[in-house]
Amino acid sequence: MRDTFVKTLLEAAKYDPNIILMTGDLGYGVLDTFQTELPSQFINSGVNEQAMMGMAAGYASTGKRVFVYSIGNFPTLRCLEQIRNDVCLMNNPVVIVSVGAGYAYGSQGYTHHALEDIAVLRALPNMEVIVPADPIETHGLTLAVIASSKPTYLRLGKSNEPEIHTTPPKISVGVINEIKTGTDGTLLFAGSVGVLAVAAAKELETQGISVAVASMPFVSTIDLNYLSSALVKGPVIVIEEHAYRGGVGSAVLEAVNSANLQGSIGLIASDQSNLSQIGDQNFLRVANGISTEKIVQKFNALKVN
Amino acid sequence: MSNMASPFTNAADLALAARHEIISMTSIAKASHVASALSVVDILSVLYTGTASISPEKVSEPDRDVVILSKGHSASALYSVLALQKFFPKDWLAHYCENDAPLGGHVTSKGVPGVELSTGSLGHGLPYGLGIAMARKKSGAMGRVFVVMSDGECDEGTTWEAAMIANHHNLNNLVVIVDRNRIQSLTFTEDTLKLEPFADKWAAFGWQVQTVPGHDHELLSNALASKTQPSCIIADTTKGKGVDFMENSVLWHYKPPAADDVKKAFVQLSENY
Repeated sequence: MRDTFVKTLLEAAKYDPNIILMTGDLGYGVLDTFQTELPSQFINSGVNEQAMMGMAAGYASTGKRVFVYSIGNFPTLRCLEQIRNDVCLMNNPVVIVSVGAGYAYGSQGYTHHALEDIAVLRALPNMEVIVPADPIETHGLTLAVIASSKPTYLRLGKSNEPEIHTTPPKISVGVINEIKTGTDGTLLFAGSVGVLAVAAAKELETQGISVAVASMPFVSTIDLNYLSSALVKGPVIVIEEHAYRGGVGSAVLEAVNSANLQGSIGLIASDQSNLSQIGDQNFLRVANGISTEKIVQKFNALKVN
Repeated sequence: MSNMASPFTNAADLALAARHEIISMTSIAKASHVASALSVVDILSVLYTGTASISPEKVSEPDRDVVILSKGHSASALYSVLALQKFFPKDWLAHYCENDAPLGGHVTSKGVPGVELSTGSLGHGLPYGLGIAMARKKSGAMGRVFVVMSDGECDEGTTWEAAMIANHHNLNNLVVIVDRNRIQSLTFTEDTLKLEPFADKWAAFGWQVQTVPGHDHELLSNALASKTQPSCIIADTTKGKGVDFMENSVLWHYKPPAADDVKKAFVQLSENY
């Protein structure tokens, strides 16, 4: 996802000098081409996320679309008040780009796991939170973000995420992208955990159950049209690589509650039960309650026979 | 000093008029930070009488000079100066901190012409101003950026992060003015967290440093003319300047002037200026 993002941004930035890429000294081997080809649009601020975010806001106030790139918690939690006051309150066109969603940095440890970022950033006013599912969606969403001027949080995976989409989805702000149709319920996911949803749908199929699978990249602008028809069909399971509290599932529950929709919703998210456990992304997902098996179990538990 | 008067061209006249407004408005609003405002008002008066290229007609021009008051708690000083210089109606001052009024207790930018950044949490103004200065430098745009900070604010790590970045990128369009009144929230700065040797710290970060008497308009103006930046001007000031019972006292960081205090303060101003 990160390579797709950088490549897409670079192609656009070649024709748009208003695009600026800032990094807090991260992106080795990822940002080099951008830096080489467009040095005047690239800034490595150093290891100083708080000053960098304030600087990005000031920079963006001059009419630039400033992308701030770093890993997980560094451009989000480390500099939260700069995002809150200088970006969101002032409504400056900054895009925060984090790589390493959820457990993508696996054995690097909890300091590098992004598990609370969605909850915190989606609580901020004016902030659009976007979680792409795969490289194909990342491309379209990056173009959509470039075209917008809203404060935005783009939460990327890392590298080598499988492609969930077979054809590029039509990107529209707040719209859920369905990957597979189904009649008995819906597996709704945000991020690269889509592979688990696809696997769970196949497993359910062997049990004679037909579920839709859909990617929900827009977390702060919820697709109520899709949700209302999905809830009529059957249970909706929301799957994310983030803490339960305040994540994508919470966002869906809040929206459904506000719109007074009826139906059954189950959440699959990290229970944060193993903060210090070492392992790769797949291992840590399972260890913290995010797995195909759990999705199938949750769906069957909610399904009305 | 009526609404029909012309903007001030002389910093001393503007500062004196602003001192009256600061004392009145904080009293009416029962607001804190009157001494912080009296400390910084001469710096702002110098900036807004020609040192900074900014006027009510230019607030949206891309090449304007940008003034950021990072010590957002001295909002009454900035509001008074901007109102007296006709950026917005002077009668807004009497409604400072009122429900649904434009002027809040910490510097508020939305709907207030001339205010560049909402501040109130310390350590935000310098990185933000740095971003504007860097954007201008990279695009070849004109206009300087003045960031007015408190000394207590220099406890914040962002100050020194930004100081390093500004020097690394040779931002000669960025000026920091520190209102060095030596008092912060609970007591004196040097008893809270030592800043000295303060000038040496900025110099060690690669800044050109000048220390000037912070209530002397001419010396402030001369120091601000220098463009071999990034430039840090340490303005030696007195908290509560101009009103003897407010000077150098932590109490007046918080206490709103009562009606009787206002009377006494106005007498002081007429004697001292």
